[in-house]
Amino acid sequence: MVARRGPQPGVTTASALFAWEGAPDGVPSRRLVTRCALARVCGACGRPLGHPIAFVGTSDEVARNAFHLPPLHDGCVDAVRALPAPVPLTVVRTAGFEFVRPGSGDADPLPRFVPNSLL
Amino acid sequence: MAISDVQEYCHLTEADVEAIGRELDALRERVERSRGAKDAAYIRRVIRAQRWMAASARIGMIVAAPLDKRYRRPLQAASAVSLGLAKILENMEIGHNVMHGQWDWMNDPEIHSSTWEWDTGQPAEQWKHSHNYIHHQFTNVLGYDNDIGYGVLRMAREQRWTPANLGQPVYNALLATLFQWGVALHDLDLDAIRHGKKDPEEMRRQLAQIVRKGRHQLVKDYVLYPALTGPRWKETIRANVAANLMRNVWAYLIIFCGHFPDGALHFTEDELEDETRAEWYLRQILGTANFEGGPLLHLMSGNLGYQIEHHLFPDLVSNRYAEIAPEVRALCEKYELPYTTGPLHRQYGQVLRTIHKLTLPNRMTKDDRPPTGEGVTIEQHQRVRHEDTHQRRTELGAWSRAAGRSRA
Repeated sequence: MVARRGPQPGVTTASALFAWEGAPDGVPSRRLVTRCALARVCGACGRPLGHPIAFVGTSDEVARNAFHLPPLHDGCVDAVRALPAPVPLTVVRTAGFEFVRPGSGDADPLPRFVPNSLL
Repeated sequence: MAISDVQEYCHLTEADVEAIGRELDALRERVERSRGAKDAAYIRRVIRAQRWMAASARIGMIVAAPLDKRYRRPLQAASAVSLGLAKILENMEIGHNVMHGQWDWMNDPEIHSSTWEWDTGQPAEQWKHSHNYIHHQFTNVLGYDNDIGYGVLRMAREQRWTPANLGQPVYNALLATLFQWGVALHDLDLDAIRHGKKDPEEMRRQLAQIVRKGRHQLVKDYVLYPALTGPRWKETIRANVAANLMRNVWAYLIIFCGHFPDGALHFTEDELEDETRAEWYLRQILGTANFEGGPLLHLMSGNLGYQIEHHLFPDLVSNRYAEIAPEVRALCEKYELPYTTGPLHRQYGQVLRTIHKLTLPNRMTKDDRPPTGEGVTIEQHQRVRHEDTHQRRTELGAWSRAAGRSRA
């Protein structure tokens, strides 16, 4: 039986999470972030997203309403917040989001998520 | 031919490409800002209409059962047509678009990409992987996008010819009539299975889900509803076969007209490297084709007659594609980009011609696609060499691969 990747009790390493697979520096893989956005799966467990959708981000990301970490299940938020991070991460919940690919002139070179119906 | 450098193919400067990107961004932002109650009312109206059509079809078959043949036959025929139209509407304008997340902003848990399960053989979860991700991210990229021929048809000259391609007209007819089951198997990645590259455990998980969904569909259409019509169950089965056939052929026709008319181009994986948002837009414009028609035709085709606009903005509400299409077309004209469109019959005629031409080796036929400049395309022999060394992307056919380590 093949175990599904996802948050395991007591596991707080990035490599245990779906979108962080093969990302040694603790940053989610860009390829998998795109996959989470389009296939609408959770960045932590890799299973289909539910309703509502959760995003975690820094206070700056919350203020800009643009998040870099992939969408999550409500129940998977804690696994991501438990990862080592330089600043505390805040959770926002939304029904939907826009996925924005980076443009060449963008100050932000990473793909980002813009929640469009905050709850 | 397949494009390996979109910018060079279009004779655009980097500044042009970025300017196109900015204009399309502005278009998208404008629709997002104005999206609201009117759009929500639209999708709710469509869903309501679809449910009435489906319900009246099912009730019509039950009511017709005890009637005299004179009244029964026309009522059954009308019910079959109504059911076929309801399935078309559900699959095309509702299911496909809801699963893209176009209506998630409404915050309606029922009309949401995470909860919608559609009336067809493929599980929604696998569709969101094979279509939303693989097809929309790698649109028309050879070796990546499984929509190029659905794993059974040779649709590009760069795809290797084998004697099995001689049967394409037959495979095409089978694919059209059994389309829901072709789509059901779509995320399995038949090419990977043929080449022994499919993880058996992965395949088992996917097949189990397909069997569950398929069984549900079969029981509903061929056991439960026929049973409700008592001794006329055989006639109800026939009516349901007709409804499914209608939906299958229509969905096949619309999907094939979106990517295989002459103007829709294929790409090599070189084009994916470090693609910016503007370059991604450009690839979507070049890889897709629209068709023309009235509002009813667009509604029944899930607004995929605006395939170019859909590929530019797959998560933008479908009822607004008609509004932005003239602006997208004007932008293409401004930068002398092809905006492939035409009447549905002409687009499908070109698709059919491609299918039949590619039954034969390239040396026996001529390419109908627009010519390109030196060095921006790859030719058949290069493609063959590439295929020999190419590692298929691990995402293909890997809907349930939440366990990356198991495949290492």
